[in-house]
Amino acid sequence: MKKRGRGQKAAATQALQPQSVGLKKDRKPSMFEKESYAQILKERLRESIHDVQYVEPPLDDSIADIGKEWKSALSKLKFANSYRMEPLKKFQAHTVETKVQQILKESLKDVKYDDRGLSHLSLQLADQILLAVKEFGYQRYKFIIKILFIQKTGQAINVASRWIWDVAWDSWVEAKHETESYVALALVFAVYCE
Amino acid sequence: MEEYHRHCDEVGFNADEAHNIVKECVDGVLGGEDYNQNNINQWTASMVEQSLTHLVKLGKAYKYIVTCAVVQRSAYGFHTASSCFWDTTSDGTCTVRWENRTMNCIVNVFAIAIVL
Repeated sequence: MKKRGRGQKAAATQALQPQSVGLKKDRKPSMFEKESYAQILKERLRESIHDVQYVEPPLDDSIADIGKEWKSALSKLKFANSYRMEPLKKFQAHTVETKVQQILKESLKDVKYDDRGLSHLSLQLADQILLAVKEFGYQRYKFIIKILFIQKTGQAINVASRWIWDVAWDSWVEAKHETESYVALALVFAVYCE
Repeated sequence: MEEYHRHCDEVGFNADEAHNIVKECVDGVLGGEDYNQNNINQWTASMVEQSLTHLVKLGKAYKYIVTCAVVQRSAYGFHTASSCFWDTTSDGTCTVRWENRTMNCIVNVFAIAIVL
């Protein structure tokens, strides 16, 4: 039933077209075109699913609102000028890289790939690296640590990162630890808080 | 002396908008495609760059870091963890996992506030 209806509409619009071309150049997109676009999109995405894994601040939490109220009150306050244009101690990527590489090597010396053990270990390792980076004592820097464990089963993996930050004093560090059964990758991003 | 006025009055990271932006970018680049070794570099690069440009268009005073990992779908194990040291009231993160028949993709967005 639906198909017949659509076919008729298409014929009608085609009949009208030669008349209206002289009058106005752009035609409103017909319902038929809109439906087919949505259908094409659905076809393309038929095999894909997605979900949101983790969000912070939490999407439906009222606790987050309390923080926001405080913050908006704070934004009305004006801070005194610190006259500091750049960080006192700039982030040294090479020293941090050696330290992170050392931590990875020590903690993963004899660890084999194991589902449950590694999920706990990855969180532990992230916290450990965060503590170590904080110990360096870079003032006014914010840190983001990312740990990835990939089991070696002959599949390909591609990891890409892009960022928008101040190139003068924001930087990142990468450390990799490879064993027979898995590869561990640690990424550290250091962002100066202006 | 003139003062700088913010473009928008919202305070705090809006994770909903970020998640929508990322989902649209991933759908646009990887939707309906199969894992292809030749194109994978180009796809990851364009996906990450597109999400970054859209995030910047939101007009908020934030520094962004977008990370993406695309893995071919097979029998493998994969763990990822992240730990952050920042201001929890103004900074935020959003992780979106997308998969189809031949590949898995995880995109992470970190947003760090700039205090003007």
